Amino acid sequence: METSDLSQHISRRFNEDLERVRAQVLSMGGFVEQQLAKAVSALVEGDSLLGETVARDDFEVNKMEVSIDEECSRILATRAPAASDLRLIVAIIKAITDLERMGDECEKIGYIASRLALEERPADKYREVKHLGRVVQSMVHDSLDAFARMDPEAALRVARQDRLVDEEYEAIQRQSITFMMEDPRAIRRVIDVMWVVRALERIGDHAKNICEYVVFMVHGKDIRHVRIEDVERELKQRGTQA
Amino acid sequence: MVAIGAAIGGLIGHLWWGIAGALAVELTRQLVNLHQFDHWLRNRNRRDPPDAGGLWGDLVSQVSRLHRRKQFHKQRILRLFRELRRSTASMPDGVVALNPLREIVWFNRKAGELLGLRRKTDFGLQIGSLVRVPEFARYLEKGDFSAGLRVHPRIGEAFCIEFQGVPYGEGQMFLLVRDVTRQAHLETMRKDFVANASHELRSPLTVIAGYLETLALDEDLPADLRPPLLEMRRQAERMTAIIADLLELSRLEATDEQVVGNPIDVAALLALLRKDAVVRDAGQHVVDMRVESPEGLMGDPGLIHSAFSNLLDNAIKYTPAGGAITLRWWTDEQGGHFAVTDTGPGISEEHLPRLTERFYRVDAGRARDAGGSGLGLAIVRHVLQRHGGTLKVESIEGRGSTFSCHFPPLRLVHEPVALPDDTRYSA
Repeated sequence: METSDLSQHISRRFNEDLERVRAQVLSMGGFVEQQLAKAVSALVEGDSLLGETVARDDFEVNKMEVSIDEECSRILATRAPAASDLRLIVAIIKAITDLERMGDECEKIGYIASRLALEERPADKYREVKHLGRVVQSMVHDSLDAFARMDPEAALRVARQDRLVDEEYEAIQRQSITFMMEDPRAIRRVIDVMWVVRALERIGDHAKNICEYVVFMVHGKDIRHVRIEDVERELKQRGTQA
Repeated sequence: MVAIGAAIGGLIGHLWWGIAGALAVELTRQLVNLHQFDHWLRNRNRRDPPDAGGLWGDLVSQVSRLHRRKQFHKQRILRLFRELRRSTASMPDGVVALNPLREIVWFNRKAGELLGLRRKTDFGLQIGSLVRVPEFARYLEKGDFSAGLRVHPRIGEAFCIEFQGVPYGEGQMFLLVRDVTRQAHLETMRKDFVANASHELRSPLTVIAGYLETLALDEDLPADLRPPLLEMRRQAERMTAIIADLLELSRLEATDEQVVGNPIDVAALLALLRKDAVVRDAGQHVVDMRVESPEGLMGDPGLIHSAFSNLLDNAIKYTPAGGAITLRWWTDEQGGHFAVTDTGPGISEEHLPRLTERFYRVDAGRARDAGGSGLGLAIVRHVLQRHGGTLKVESIEGRGSTFSCHFPPLRLVHEPVALPDDTRYSA
């Protein structure tokens, strides 16, 4: 099993470049994590100001994406990395796209939250959304941890959670339909909530993508569109062969 | 040995064969000793030293003495190290040791618990990669560890931790991590209490003030009751003002977050303030305005209005009739500056540091006459804090005072501000 050992380079500057861009990705991830937490909290607490803040701060995420992208292009052009370094850069370029999308979804949630805050809150106080939000938050957090630690096993564990999110999404959708049939006046609000839930589900998907990049980065294996069980079996076989 | 060999050789008639045989025996003996010594050196922890006489014996005993001494020191250091590790592990606070690149060198159990770090795998990783709260990254980058940093790692939950950097050596540092959920909770409770108490006091006060007003309008009121009634009304108004300020202060204190806000046309704001002041003041003071820069300010219009008008009100209150007050706005490389200069009595130096404390009064009697709440400057200070600005006070007794607000360059808006609707400023 090969791991990306960043300490092997003769050129120290190259090492520093790689480390810096990796740290930038993770700090961008940290910002997105915070945006997500704020967005969910804005909806659940009915805090319109917080929702607006989240929507407004999305430009920070975009700015970070652009700057990391430039840095990656620069490294590709000047250092021509190979093997695990190349995979790291490729993984980073992909991961920041996903993080940026997550930021956009947070912006959407924040915007809807600030609008919903002005309306009457439902009796369940968005309990389901809160729960789904917590699952998605922990997914994002753990996927970034796996990225920081270059830990493919942890990444696969997170990727498996995505199924849980999908189920939850399904359940909330069904519940929302019931709400709308019971009280047509609530349709507008429930549709808004469904947008939020949809955004959370999308964020979960992006977190899963990041986990896939971690596996790619460490094992050099593309696991998109492959069942997780198959991936795990194959990686285990590789582990015993090596 | 050689002599014995030579004697035996001479005896049997082959002197040289005898010597050669003796040398061979001696060589074999030395080789065997050397081999034994080497074998023992390789396994010196498990085997007893070989029994050899002469030079070899000396060598063996010296090496084994050195070895014993080394073992002894190693044991002592190991014991010390274990002791240290055990004691730091049982510390109630988390400790993380970082190298100059901010990579994790070592951490104790509590730090692992609080930050979700894992032993072994996380050594050598950058702390910012695992503790990704944006405020934390800023705290490390800024490099100012005179104060700690409090963060809620999970938004919407009470869990609160405090970081304190302790730099040492050449760029290394200890990061102390504490769970301050309880303290943070208590502080919130205290702040909430002030806010709630003020809020609760407001309704009964409104009733009292309302009846006092009706009573004062009553024509049949005996003449001797009129002065006390007027005084009661004045005091009720003061209480209302204090409560309003307390509420505003607790709103301001609710968060330390920097205000982003909107562009404010400072020139228009000052013109508005001046107009209001002149009307209220009924021409007792000369209020001058000097706008020396067209640049605007990025901030919360309501808060900035409140801060500037507090400063202007103070100047009017404390400057005797006929005095002059100047409002000034200018910008330079250091940022934007707003100053209120008056020709009042001034403030003596010993009061200056305490001026922004709540309810602090330079001259207790007079301030109350003027009807201040004693919270004005505290409000100004908080508003400025949330805009990254500072308040400066210069004063010469008998000549007057200058209160100035300084905003960082980042807060300036260079293009001329499109004037938003005026209602924004009339908060």
